[in-house]
Amino acid sequence: MLKVEGLKKMYGRMAALDGLCMCVNAGALYGFVGPNGAGKTTTIKILTGLLLPDSGSVIVDGIDAVKEPGKVTEKIGYVPDFFGVYDNLKVWEYMELFSACGGLYGLNARKRSWDLLEQVGLGEKSDYYVDGLSRGMKQRLCLARALIHNPPILVMDEPTSGLDPGTRYEFKEILKELREQGKTVVISSHILSELSEVCTDIGIVEQGKMVLEGSINDILNQINVRSPLLITVCRNKEQALNLLRSHPYVETITIRQNDIMVGFTGEQEDEAVLLKQLVEAGVMVCGFVRERGSLESVFMQIINHEEGMVLISEN
Amino acid sequence: MKINPIYWQEARVSSRSFRLPLIIFLCNTILSLAALLNMYSMVTQAKVTAEIQYSSFLNLYILVACIEFVMILLIVPALTAGSISGERERQTLNLLLTTRMTPMDIVVGKLMTGLSTMILLIISSFPILALVFIYGGVTIKDIVLLLMSFISAAVLSGSIGICCSSMFRKSTIATVVSYCVMAALVLGTAAAVRFGGSSGFSFLVWLLLLNPGVPFGAAMGEQLGNVRRISVLQTWTGSSLQRLTAGDWLWLGIIMQLLLAGACLWAAVNQVNPRRKRRWKY
Repeated sequence: MLKVEGLKKMYGRMAALDGLCMCVNAGALYGFVGPNGAGKTTTIKILTGLLLPDSGSVIVDGIDAVKEPGKVTEKIGYVPDFFGVYDNLKVWEYMELFSACGGLYGLNARKRSWDLLEQVGLGEKSDYYVDGLSRGMKQRLCLARALIHNPPILVMDEPTSGLDPGTRYEFKEILKELREQGKTVVISSHILSELSEVCTDIGIVEQGKMVLEGSINDILNQINVRSPLLITVCRNKEQALNLLRSHPYVETITIRQNDIMVGFTGEQEDEAVLLKQLVEAGVMVCGFVRERGSLESVFMQIINHEEGMVLISEN
Repeated sequence: MKINPIYWQEARVSSRSFRLPLIIFLCNTILSLAALLNMYSMVTQAKVTAEIQYSSFLNLYILVACIEFVMILLIVPALTAGSISGERERQTLNLLLTTRMTPMDIVVGKLMTGLSTMILLIISSFPILALVFIYGGVTIKDIVLLLMSFISAAVLSGSIGICCSSMFRKSTIATVVSYCVMAALVLGTAAAVRFGGSSGFSFLVWLLLLNPGVPFGAAMGEQLGNVRRISVLQTWTGSSLQRLTAGDWLWLGIIMQLLLAGACLWAAVNQVNPRRKRRWKY
């Protein structure tokens, strides 16, 4: 659905994008993650035709976005990291304006606007002035506006920044609904826990380059392998520790009350063997689980933060 | 017919706001006061001298037309100089550019908004200009010529306002620069011809074709049979203008100013286009 290859963009002498590659499949909810200044907004601006890259290609649903920016606007709905609303317009007038800007007029425009306002929960507010809406409502209005021309791809730049948890939850539900409708959504956000809940794919960008990309499950599984084993022991802890110390796959052991956190390099089968060995050695094991990696831990590892810091924050 | 969405939205908002009726009220109050005071002085004079100076009615026409022309030059830049920069300040320009709207559509929509306000103002002031019809001396054709000079001035000043608005990020800076450019065109070209022409640079007179005051002056001069302004130009610049009549100045001026307006709009479209290579930024 969306393919970016070798994208480069310089701002003066600074490279905002340095050969960025990206691939978003149809129907995916793609989390676009990176630290500040990594090049996320620049990439989004290029995707939406608001910026010209220095080199590279952007193919959106079969259309070359660099050569035919006019056609790409029909394929992409853009929700920026600001509201971008006219305060002196009513909600339905705002929608009508962007319907007309998208080439939709008359009854069709009104029906489409009404449906979208209902979908984002603003149906009852259609006669309100935009400046009377709360922050969350404005953001939902922006989302409805971006969908007015029924684009197959929705690109969102930090859409939930500054929203309260309740509104973020509602926003997440809307995103899931859009995915069910077959939309491809590219969403850039710093709230990684939220992305991991809704996204199907993820791309981590740093210093203008894609450093990790793929299905979120695959990535989390990869990181899970590197996550520690958490063994809860009810009795015979010393025996368990002796066994673990001599085990070839054990790298580190950290004791936390009844829990033993083990840096274990083996695969799933090796985990099963270890459990069997512990039980056979007379250790009463109450819990045996591989700590689940999170998107935060992946992100922090990639941008060279210490994993220990991540684990502490997780606890 | 599909109306430009930008124009439609601006028209909706301005018709709802207090600003438009206030502008129309203030402008027409100024024009009416000027016209009524002029008529009052004529009537008072007639009571004293027992004779009616018909030329005074033409003076009334000149006065009202001049005030209206000055108001156009003052109001249109204010209406248009915040148009594109205002969209930038509201952060809505990028949203418009991600729709089917082209930079040309956006710029034309903004120009239409400014001009429609001005045209509304001109039409609303018609009854005051029409006072002169009571006594005769000015025909409908004359009024149409006057209107054309008004419209060309409005298009030029509106285009300059939009061009400045597209170049500067802040509306206040865009407004100040628009007025500076208008002052340079109206007063600067006149000063250049006045002082340059008498110093031997007679070619400078062609700069007047860019002066919105010249078609207006030519229209008035032709209507009133007053060629004094043209002879003043000849005095300043020598004999090179002898073959040019007031009518020629009117049409040449309008054509040149519309061309200049077109160039300003082209520059504005270029500035609004996000995909052009930026060399400088304000």
